[in-house]
Amino acid sequence: MLGVKPGRRARASRRRLNPLRSLVISALAVVLAAGSGSLAYFLPAAMIAFNASGQSIDLPTPSPTSILFSPTPSASASPTVAASGAFTVLLLGSDDDSKFSGDRVLTQSMILVRVVPSTKQVTMLSIPRDLWAPLATGGTGKMDWAYSYGGARAAIATVEADFGVHIDDYIWVGLLGLIRVIDVIGGIDIVTSNPVLDDYYPLDVNTNSLYGYQRIAVLGGPQHLDGTHALEYVRSRHNDLQSDFGRSRRQQQVLLAIRAKAKLLSAEDIPSLAQAIGGEIKTSISIDKVARLLPLASSFDDPSKIHTIVLASPYTHGGAPDGSLFPDWGAILPLVHQYFP
Amino acid sequence: MIAKISLGAFLALLMVVVGVGSFLYLGTRQSKIVQPPELPTAAQPSPNAFRLPGTMVLEQGGALYSLSNGRFHQLTTPKGWTQPSFMPGGNLLVVKRSSVFSDVWTMSRLGHPIKQLTNNAAPRFSYDIGDNHWVFYPRISPDGRSIFLSYDSPKFGYEVDLSVWSMPVNGSLRSGRVWTDESAAPGYTGGDLQPVPVPGGVVFTRYDRNPDGSIFSQVWYSNRAGSFGHALTTPGADCREPSFAPAFNYLAMICTYGAQVSNLVIASYANGAVGRLQTVISNQMVAQPTWAPDGSGIAYLAPVVVAEPFQLWFVPATSFFQPKPSPSPSPSAGASPSPSPSPRPSPSPLVLKPIQITQYNDFDATSTLAWAA
Repeated sequence: MLGVKPGRRARASRRRLNPLRSLVISALAVVLAAGSGSLAYFLPAAMIAFNASGQSIDLPTPSPTSILFSPTPSASASPTVAASGAFTVLLLGSDDDSKFSGDRVLTQSMILVRVVPSTKQVTMLSIPRDLWAPLATGGTGKMDWAYSYGGARAAIATVEADFGVHIDDYIWVGLLGLIRVIDVIGGIDIVTSNPVLDDYYPLDVNTNSLYGYQRIAVLGGPQHLDGTHALEYVRSRHNDLQSDFGRSRRQQQVLLAIRAKAKLLSAEDIPSLAQAIGGEIKTSISIDKVARLLPLASSFDDPSKIHTIVLASPYTHGGAPDGSLFPDWGAILPLVHQYFP
Repeated sequence: MIAKISLGAFLALLMVVVGVGSFLYLGTRQSKIVQPPELPTAAQPSPNAFRLPGTMVLEQGGALYSLSNGRFHQLTTPKGWTQPSFMPGGNLLVVKRSSVFSDVWTMSRLGHPIKQLTNNAAPRFSYDIGDNHWVFYPRISPDGRSIFLSYDSPKFGYEVDLSVWSMPVNGSLRSGRVWTDESAAPGYTGGDLQPVPVPGGVVFTRYDRNPDGSIFSQVWYSNRAGSFGHALTTPGADCREPSFAPAFNYLAMICTYGAQVSNLVIASYANGAVGRLQTVISNQMVAQPTWAPDGSGIAYLAPVVVAEPFQLWFVPATSFFQPKPSPSPSPSAGASPSPSPSPRPSPSPLVLKPIQITQYNDFDATSTLAWAA
C-alpha cells in the first residue's frame, strides 16, 4: 500500500465505479433489456398490424353521391360522428382464394356496425349481398359486386349513398382470416340456430381443386366450433330458400361469439393472433384508434344492448335480375336512420 | 480494472438474461383458453370426485370413451365415431361419420365394431357428391325391434333436410319407414333430428320458421309413421334435444328462447303430452341433457366459461324435485293436457349448484351421451 504511487492509485479509483452509479447503470440495463425482449415479442405483431391497418380509402368529399350513378334512394350521407363518440364501421367478408385475381373479390358478407360507447349500444345491420341497388362504380347491380369493381372505396361509397349513412371505417376479412382467427382463439361456443346441411358447399379453402364441392353437415344446438366448421356454418347458403338472410343471421351470431371469446384474451395473445391473420385483414382503422377502442370492447357486455337487423321481407323481395332482391327503400331507409342517425 | 470489466460482463449477462427472460415470460402470459384440450383418459376425475352411476359413453374428437367407476377408458380410435346410444343387452348403436356421409353401426360395449347397418356412401360410379347420405342420432325403440334415426332422404336439388325414419333392427333403410317427411315442408330448416322412441310413438326436435324467416326449434311427438304429429313445446321456447327419465314420466331438454343461451328444462310427460316447463339450469350453455338410468339426476355438457370447450356436468334429481310430489302436472301453453300422475317439479325458480365432472376435455356437444346402469 505504501509502495503504490499516488498517480496509479488515482487511475485505479477512476476505473472503479461508485456503487450508486453501478446501480443506476444496472437498472438502466435491466429496463433496456426488458424493453428489447418485449419489443422482440410484439414487433412482428406490430408490423403486421401496421400493414393491415390505416388503409387509405380516400373517400370523395363532400359526398360520394356526386360521382355516383344517380341512386334511387335519398343519398344524403351525413358525416355524423356524434358527440357521444359513436362511429360506424362496415365489415366486409370475402372469398379471397385464387379463383379471384388480386383484390377483385366478391363480398360474401356486408355488415354495417354502429357503436355508441356512451350507451354501450351496438347495432349490426346485415346488407344482403344480393340486394339490387345502384353501385358507386356506375350502373346498378348486386351489392357484392361493388367491392370487386372498386375495392373498399367503392363498397363504402355504395353503402353510404344507398343507405344514407356515414361510414367512418371499414374492416375487410378473407375466408382464411376468419378460420385462423377462430382457431387461434381456441374456437367459439355457439347455439347454432338449425342444422346446416349442404351437398354443394364450395371446396376452395386449403385445396387445389378450386371449383370442387364438398358435403357439409353442421348439426343444430349448442356446440364448440373450430374455424373451419364456423366458416361452414356462416358461409353455406344453398339451402337457404330466403336468399342469404339465414346466413346473415348466422354471421351475426358468429361475430358475437368471437367477441365473447375475445374478451378472455390477454395482450400477450396479440402476436400469435396477428401472425395467424396476417394478410387476411385490412382496415382503415389506425393503430392508435385500435388501441383506444380495445379497452372499450370488454365493456359492451349487455346482450340487450346489441341489436341485430336483417333486411328480410318486407324490406326486400325477390324477382330482381340474376336471382337478386329488390329493396323497398321506403321501408329500409327509416329503419336504417333509426339505428344509424 | 477488474471492477469495470466485471461490471461490464455482469451487465451483458444481465441484459441477455432479462431480455430473453422477458420474451419468454410474455409467451407464458398467453391466455390458457387456446391450450389444446386433454384426452379423457389423461384427465381422470380425481378419486374423490363425484362418481356417476352406471356406465356412460361420450365422444371427443371422433373417438368414444366410456366413464364408469369414476374412470375413463378409450373405446375406439378417433375415426369419426359419434352419437352413441345403448341397446338392450349392452351393445351400442353408434354413427361413423366420414367427410361426406355417415353410417349406423352396432358396437360392443368394449368398442369393437360389430355390424354396419346402413350404407350411405354414393354408388361407386356416381359423379354426384349429392348421392351420398347422412344419418344421425340412431336410437332403439323401447320394444327393441326398431331403430329410429335422422336421415337426409328424400332430398331434391339443393335442399337437404333430415327426416325421422325407422328401420327394423335386423333390416336396412330400404325396409325402413319415413315418419316425418321434412322435404315436403316449405323452406329449408334442417329438418327433424334426434328422435327418441317412447312407448306409443317418437319424440324429436323439429326446426321450423317464424313468419320473419328466422328459425326456431320445437320438441314434437308423433305416434305413427306419416302422421303430422303435434308439438310439445311452443315456438317461442325454442326447445330441442329431448331426453327421457327411465320411466318415461319426465322429459329433459334445452330451451333457448331465441337467444344464444340454452337452459336445462324439465317437464312431466305422459302419452304424448307434457306438463309445465321448469327451468333447472339457466346460467350455462347446456347441451345434450341425459337422464341417469336410475333416475337420480341429469348429466349434460356445458363449458365452464362461455366460449370454452364443453365439459361433463351432473345435477342430482333431489335438487330439482320437491320432496312431496303432487298428483298431476298442469299443462303448458300450446301443449296438450297431461293426464300424467307424475310428481311435479318445483314452481319456484331453482338455484342449483351442478356438479362438474371433468375439467379440461372437449366433448362433442352435438353427440348424445349414452348412459346405462
